[in-house]
Amino acid sequence: MSTLEPLHLSRRDFVSDQTIRWCPGCGDYAIISQVQKVLPDLGIPKENIVFISGIGCSSRFPYYMDTYGIHSIHGRAPTLATGLKIANPELSVWVITGDGDALSIGGNHIIHTCRRNVDLNIILFNNRIYGLTKGQYSPTSPQGIRTKSSPMGSLERPLNPISLALASEATFIARTVDIITKHMGDTFLKAARHKGISFVEVFQNCVIFNNGAWQPYSDRQLRSDNDIFLENGKPMIFGQNDDKGILWGKSGLEVVELGDQYSEDDLVVHDTSSVTQAWMLSRLTYPMPIGIILDVQCPSYEQAAWAQVQEAKMQKGEGTLAKLFHAADTWQIQPHDGDRPASQMTVHSRLPSNLDEAYMDDLLNDLNESELEERLGDMDIAALKPHAPILVADSARVDHAVQLMQKHNIGCLLVTSADGHLSGILTENDVTNRILGHDVDTHASTVAEYMTVDPVALGLDTPVIESLHLISTYGFRHLPVVDEHGLPLGILSVRDIIHFLATVL
Amino acid sequence: MTAPKIKIQELDSVVIRFAGDSGDGMQLTGTQFTNTAAIVGNDISTLPDYPAEIRAPAGTLAGVSGFQVQLSEHDIWTPGDAPHVLIAMNPAALKVSLPDLDVAATIIVNTDAFSKSNLKKAGYASNPLKDGSLDKYTVYKMPITSLNRTAVKEVESLSSKGVDRSQNFFALGLVYWLYDRPLENTLAWIKTKFAKRPEVAEANILALQAGYFYGDTTRAFQTRYRIRAASLPPGTYRKVSGNEAIALGLVTAAQKADKLLFYGAYPITPASDILHTLAPLRNYNVITFQAEDEIAAMGATVGAAFGGVMAVTGTSGPGLALKSEALNLAVMLELPLVIVNVQRGGPSTGLPTKVEQSDLLQAMFGRNGESPIPILAPATPADGFEIAIEAYRLAVRAMSPVMILSDGYLGNSAEPWRIPDPDSIPPIIIEHPTAANSDDGSFLPYKRDPITLGRPWALPGTPGLEHRMGGLEKSPEKGNVSYAPEDHQRMTDDRAAKVARLADVIPEQTVFGPKQGELLVIGWGSTYGAIHAAVARAQTKGQSVAQAHLRYINPFPRNLGFLLQRYRHILVAEMNMGQLSLLLRGRYLRDLATLHKVKGRPFKISEISHKIDEILAGAAS
Ligand code: SF4
Repeated sequence: MSTLEPLHLSRRDFVSDQTIRWCPGCGDYAIISQVQKVLPDLGIPKENIVFISGIGCSSRFPYYMDTYGIHSIHGRAPTLATGLKIANPELSVWVITGDGDALSIGGNHIIHTCRRNVDLNIILFNNRIYGLTKGQYSPTSPQGIRTKSSPMGSLERPLNPISLALASEATFIARTVDIITKHMGDTFLKAARHKGISFVEVFQNCVIFNNGAWQPYSDRQLRSDNDIFLENGKPMIFGQNDDKGILWGKSGLEVVELGDQYSEDDLVVHDTSSVTQAWMLSRLTYPMPIGIILDVQCPSYEQAAWAQVQEAKMQKGEGTLAKLFHAADTWQIQPHDGDRPASQMTVHSRLPSNLDEAYMDDLLNDLNESELEERLGDMDIAALKPHAPILVADSARVDHAVQLMQKHNIGCLLVTSADGHLSGILTENDVTNRILGHDVDTHASTVAEYMTVDPVALGLDTPVIESLHLISTYGFRHLPVVDEHGLPLGILSVRDIIHFLATVL
Repeated sequence: MTAPKIKIQELDSVVIRFAGDSGDGMQLTGTQFTNTAAIVGNDISTLPDYPAEIRAPAGTLAGVSGFQVQLSEHDIWTPGDAPHVLIAMNPAALKVSLPDLDVAATIIVNTDAFSKSNLKKAGYASNPLKDGSLDKYTVYKMPITSLNRTAVKEVESLSSKGVDRSQNFFALGLVYWLYDRPLENTLAWIKTKFAKRPEVAEANILALQAGYFYGDTTRAFQTRYRIRAASLPPGTYRKVSGNEAIALGLVTAAQKADKLLFYGAYPITPASDILHTLAPLRNYNVITFQAEDEIAAMGATVGAAFGGVMAVTGTSGPGLALKSEALNLAVMLELPLVIVNVQRGGPSTGLPTKVEQSDLLQAMFGRNGESPIPILAPATPADGFEIAIEAYRLAVRAMSPVMILSDGYLGNSAEPWRIPDPDSIPPIIIEHPTAANSDDGSFLPYKRDPITLGRPWALPGTPGLEHRMGGLEKSPEKGNVSYAPEDHQRMTDDRAAKVARLADVIPEQTVFGPKQGELLVIGWGSTYGAIHAAVARAQTKGQSVAQAHLRYINPFPRNLGFLLQRYRHILVAEMNMGQLSLLLRGRYLRDLATLHKVKGRPFKISEISHKIDEILAGAAS
């Protein structure tokens, strides 16, 4: 690339030796001629320019350009362009596509190419019809259109390319019209200069199969009343006499007459950095927004990909084959000398990636646990403010204990010995599993017979993390809290602990 | 009373399977056992068997994770037909593995896992440890979970889950004792890998040692086994799976060609591991691109090839179907790229995790029009390395996409790989034109090299060589769109001839065994090991049987037709319903016997042996 010498390219330098075969009067002629006209202004050497197209009338485009080019397959041009741009970010890569190519068969690729923000210039020739296959309705054809494949009218609602590009997170979105050549050329220039994806919809006339489809917006007489030519930072005015404008109404953009009631100051000022405004504009059909609808910056995909290569090299050093081959556990086999060759394994510090997923998950979950430990730091049980326990003597009758549980609506009683020390715990589970339905005479038996003896108990100074450990290790649902003498102070349920965790995490 | 003396029995090879729940870490256990075996000099071959579902419920048949390894004092080629030893960590693992076991197998079970609910989850009506159904095997019942809990109880700050997670190391220690293996390597391994988790390291070490000492002190086993070192060539080794080997080969080819490696792919089983292996290699000048679908992955790969990098895509059968359109564009544009197909069972979604070789005809013919492309197939996991380099060498020579046909079995199973000296691998020399190639000073993008018939690979960015290409048929040399009858014929002939001419540079087909004789067994791809073992067996029996394993399928090696005439019978064994045999019959008009299998599993050696015997017996009668 010869960037040092000034480039002296002209329109003619971009014209190839191939004869153009579009129908006379086709809007494609105006488009290619504008592209050829503005390319010299970009200051890019022509060997660095590539046009990639799909299939359709417009997709013949690359053959007519004296640049590098590929006439690819139906709908897939964005994929080739993406691979090419990643391979060589120096290139200026253009995607030439049509409404069928981009929005029907290639719909998925358009979405994801926009979303990735690959630095490509996509020009969508929208003629609302399938031209090359001789006149079937396309995804942008108006509903009800009668074509060879829809003799009683098409049943499908048309797609809005600008809305699609917005929903696909494109960073430069514009609309222009084939016969408004100056506007079109300017739009292409700005699109090319935008770093990241540029999506330009061109209203293109197919004289043969859909003549006049855009007439209300392209015709010299009609368009000034039907189109609004957007300019960044300027109020949205349109109309033959600049007598109409757009303002924020109750339910979106509204068209108003300028005059007594409304002045220029009331109108929306076009802001190409506003996605919300762009969305409203994309839904507008009267007036039809023409111009740059959105222009925002974010790093382009290929730039970021190459930055990762650089970053990896900085962090890990340039990879050599010797390093690569040894990036695993290795061992030596010495020349064979009888029974067992002396051998040693060199262990690579990375865990192998092919371990069982469930096993690896567990390992990682454990890591999260220790993160939790850090957060909880040295908080202790006192911070949880345990409830006062409901106590029952170990000599009490079982039916009495069950009544106590019901009365307090709790699932757990702390059991005390005669001297008031914690001697056991009786839970709902004990009642349901060991007493009910087990032919137990609840009047005759005592709590001591059915309680869990000497339960694990916490002190107020026990770290919270230990209570978690006990719960997870032993599956306890309730934990008694005692003082330093073993006298019951409170009770904690799993639920209490979870509530607490929710507040600190 | 004195303890009985423990015998040591020498074995020449053994097949061991570790099986448990996917949370039991069986892959890790098996890998460690394999590593240690490799270090003491055994030849090894492994086959991991992951559960098909990502998170199958614990304890169920679907959740069983197995790892099978064969170790031997001599060369081996497969992970073994039938395990001699099974370590079953729960009832489901036992149930899944039983049908595969050797008739005289030894089974070590973790009795702690044989709870009512686990038996139920595995679909056992009665406890197989008690109902006599395992009587024909030697069964060692060990409460591994509780033994292990005792062993690691002193490790602090370990959750109960963490404690039980180390029980695989207990089992491993036990097997180390049984097979008289040193612990040192695994100890070192644990210390390195879990350096950031000292408590996990400690538990695993205690568990490993406890398992070993348990074997030593309890005398539960009466016999220990020893497999002597194999005589592998000296050198530095590592293990590689087929997917890894291909990834390493691709990076090597890129460096040898002095190019960035672009790998564009869409996730698909069982090819995704190639993407996973390449993605972290950015510092090796590797860019991986995860596309929105298979089509985009292929399209981006074609675009990247046009841009001048080493462009590669990888997929499996259903993905290849989607890629065929853009792959065909690469045929028409005549751009060099590599497409890796890690085959799986089909048709349609088929058997995603199971092996099959049924995409051969798709690779050959699965595109519209006359669209020949070179096809290579690695014979073993490690062979993927050389095949990948070779694929790119041929791609740039013929200026054509080249397909590598691997499969799920090759992709996942591993073998020792002797690490080559990078300098010993010859460079891949590519010359991109910088000047016009015609008398009138214009650039002719389809002017072919008179020997290779490859066209010049002029890169965008080169002044003066601007050119346009497309999927439409074109005129010779100039490459302008042309539907002229003579042009289409000529271009079709040229595209076929440049592929056919690769036969001039690919090696002649070698044969294992007699250079002529009764029977030649032909295979391709991952069947190499099983066929080789069966043919070797036949040869030791004195049968006149040879093996020819094709690594080049399109074009065939130039001496293949000659070879086919040197044997009275030809047997083609493949994991499909007869695809290579169709190609061979069509090409060489030679009658062939065939052996087919589409059961989602590799051939057993015995299956091929039977067929060999059958053919030879038929020939004798
Ligand atoms: S069919 Fe329509 S779009 Fe196609 S070249 Fe003719 S006028 Fe243009």
